[in-house]
Amino acid sequence: MRDLFVTNTVNQVRIHTLKTDKFKTNTIVVNMAYSLEEETATKLALLPHVLIRGSKSFPSYKKINEELDLLYGSSIDSFVFKRGEKQVVQFTLEVPNEKYLKETEPLLINAIRLLGDIIANPNIENNAFQEEIVESEKKRLENRINGILDNKIQYAEQKMIESMCQNEKYHIPANGFLKDIKQINGQNLFDFYQDWIRQAVIDIFAIGEFDDQPFKDSIEFTFKSVSRLETKIPPNEIDVEITEEKIVIDELEINQGKLNIGLRTYTSIQDDDYYSLLMYNGVLGGFSHSKLFVNVREKASLAYYASSRLDSHKGILIIQTGIEIDKFEQAVEIIKKQLQILKEGEITQKEQEQTKSILISQMREITDRPRTWIDFTYHSVLSKIDRSIEDVIEGIEKTTIEDIVAQANKVKLDTIYFLRDKQKEGK
Amino acid sequence: MEKMTFQQVNEVIYKKVLDNGLEVYVLPKKGFRKAYATFTTKYGSIDLSFISNGEKIEVPEGIAHFLEHKMFEEEEGDVFNTFAIHGAQANAFTSFDRTAYLFSSTTDIQENIETLIDFVQNPYFTDENVEKEKGIIAQEIQMYQDNPDWQLYFGLIKSLYQKHPVQIDIAGTVDSIYKITKEQLYQCYNTFYHPSNMVLFIVGNIEPEETINRVENNQKNKTFQKKPMIERIYPAEPKENNQNLKEQKLAVAIPKVLVGFKDLSVGLTGKEFIKRELATALLLEMLFGQSSIFFEELTTKGLIDNSFSFEYQIENNYAFTLIGGNSINPEQLINELKEEILKHQTDQTSLKELFERSKRKKIGELLKKLNYPEYIANQFTRYLFNKANLFDILPTMEEITLMDIQDRLQEFDPNRIAISIVRS
Repeated sequence: MRDLFVTNTVNQVRIHTLKTDKFKTNTIVVNMAYSLEEETATKLALLPHVLIRGSKSFPSYKKINEELDLLYGSSIDSFVFKRGEKQVVQFTLEVPNEKYLKETEPLLINAIRLLGDIIANPNIENNAFQEEIVESEKKRLENRINGILDNKIQYAEQKMIESMCQNEKYHIPANGFLKDIKQINGQNLFDFYQDWIRQAVIDIFAIGEFDDQPFKDSIEFTFKSVSRLETKIPPNEIDVEITEEKIVIDELEINQGKLNIGLRTYTSIQDDDYYSLLMYNGVLGGFSHSKLFVNVREKASLAYYASSRLDSHKGILIIQTGIEIDKFEQAVEIIKKQLQILKEGEITQKEQEQTKSILISQMREITDRPRTWIDFTYHSVLSKIDRSIEDVIEGIEKTTIEDIVAQANKVKLDTIYFLRDKQKEGK
Repeated sequence: MEKMTFQQVNEVIYKKVLDNGLEVYVLPKKGFRKAYATFTTKYGSIDLSFISNGEKIEVPEGIAHFLEHKMFEEEEGDVFNTFAIHGAQANAFTSFDRTAYLFSSTTDIQENIETLIDFVQNPYFTDENVEKEKGIIAQEIQMYQDNPDWQLYFGLIKSLYQKHPVQIDIAGTVDSIYKITKEQLYQCYNTFYHPSNMVLFIVGNIEPEETINRVENNQKNKTFQKKPMIERIYPAEPKENNQNLKEQKLAVAIPKVLVGFKDLSVGLTGKEFIKRELATALLLEMLFGQSSIFFEELTTKGLIDNSFSFEYQIENNYAFTLIGGNSINPEQLINELKEEILKHQTDQTSLKELFERSKRKKIGELLKKLNYPEYIANQFTRYLFNKANLFDILPTMEEITLMDIQDRLQEFDPNRIAISIVRS
């Protein structure tokens, strides 16, 4: 059984719809992708937050949220993230299906009008966003950027990526840079907004029970006054040479040391051997039966978590663990040994089978959550490789131990990053 | 096999209580590929003192969580391996009141249910494997020590409660877990893991009749001790807060603050339990939700950001409200919160307008949550342990009146708040 979205394009906006009665809500996701660039990253990170403070028809945050309450707790969330070297603004709308309520109004269409108004019909004065709102959102963006410090696991990961990819666009954080916030004002942000709304690559996904025509009409209506352009986003930089293994050590007032190791896999979601990469990551550190968990945690009792994960668009693999500070060398040694034995082909049939089973099971359950289903499809859309869930399952099934070993031998360690406690001076 | 139908939300649950006391529930979800199962004991971090077969027992802090970690080890090795072969990802969590073991999978579902039951019903603790786990849990505790939001949350509970063990960290302390022995683990296991103290809930791609039969056969082939008489001892909690303010120093970008109110009377069950939970949640939404005047004003003043939230946590023998988030000026935020409560207590006109709108929001939120098998299994079990039914929430919500909200509002005494602050 193939569960596929149907795609239509209206005014350079791709609309992907899928009908199912599995869920009690209708879910809409609007993804707007833009090239990740030093000059625009910070403005772009700020934009959705300014937009969601008020539109033409709902000119304040309070008005928007009153309307959402009336639509039975429909929710609109905005989020900015990176997919490889693309910066994506995502708006998510989740609307209860009125058939479960004592309600006859079509909640979904009203909610889309609201979201459309927020995205394409901003509350502006004299061709500029309102200064007061821009200033308050600038302050909040500053807090978000600084706030990454609160989550030490995320903080260490971002620091590692900044040093590993310092010469690639990928080092630019999804939230942009503190230094660039100051120069933003209502005028230049609105100027940028006008480029962005025309040039961003827009994909709109909808899952649930709804009528197609009114849905498409409401999307068309949203973008009717925007002259949308066809845009090409440059490809991701994947084949970056490594000259030497970098070691970076930072200090912070913390109890537990955070070790992050960045590796280049030289394989991405666009490649045929992508399945070998998925299997490699699974055997190495994706799960509780994986080599990292078993050797760093279960055998050496060094850590509570020890895992690896992929950015499949960028072809980067990140190993993460939290350890006693004086166990740094020991942990690095154990991790390097796991990388080495994978290169040498030390993978049991059992490890291969376990990893396959779990990866396939994870693929199958993608369709049980609207958001993960959309996310999977967006990976395909962005990578321009049209793979269905069944295609991926088949690819994983076919992967041999030799394939995994071949991938292991492509992998190169780039950066070892360690966040440790503050050392006493003068010793 | 008993069948329970919940028409409004279009769900059916099948139930059977087995001879050994184990309660089994199955909720088939149409169109879903995966099954999600939880096997839960009514035993959590607060169960540190109890009478088992006439003997009074005191155990170290964090033992329920330690036991949860150790269950995964079998004589033949790690049970994760068995789950992985059958495409299942397993996990577990320990809360104040429950310990739940769970898996999610799209294949070999019946085998995985069997593995889940079998590993939880087969403890294997040795001096050596208990010792080895201490390093791992110590790292878990240290990870939480570096997590400012967790420290903020626990800081609040610690300032609210003087005696009740809810103020003790779920994982215990590095010192307390190093005292744990194999013998204590077996004692807790034998007291709290009897089938009569447990619930199995399976939701998703699952056939009820076959599943219940297989579970029943699995249980018939095992022998269990006689049902233990469990008496849990919780010290009486005084009305006064433990301390009015707990401040902690941690590396954070902006300060974090939570204010809390402790419920003075507890012990509700069934529909009364649900009603109180919903009325409180609705009231908080009306006063502090994203469409409230408070939220708009404080956002404009720059005193709150998206981390601002509120919650009511209620279980049978404790309940408290918490409100707060990141703030550049915690003291000012605290004053604004107090004033807002006082304002509504003296002038209730604005509550009328807010009532219907906020109620709609809460109803919609519940529907959304019913998309998630994880939510259904975990919350159904939680309500069951409070002698209530998850699917009574929607009808109960519809019955709540403005008067219920007004009464609940009067209980909040701004002079009795407890405060937790984390800053650099």
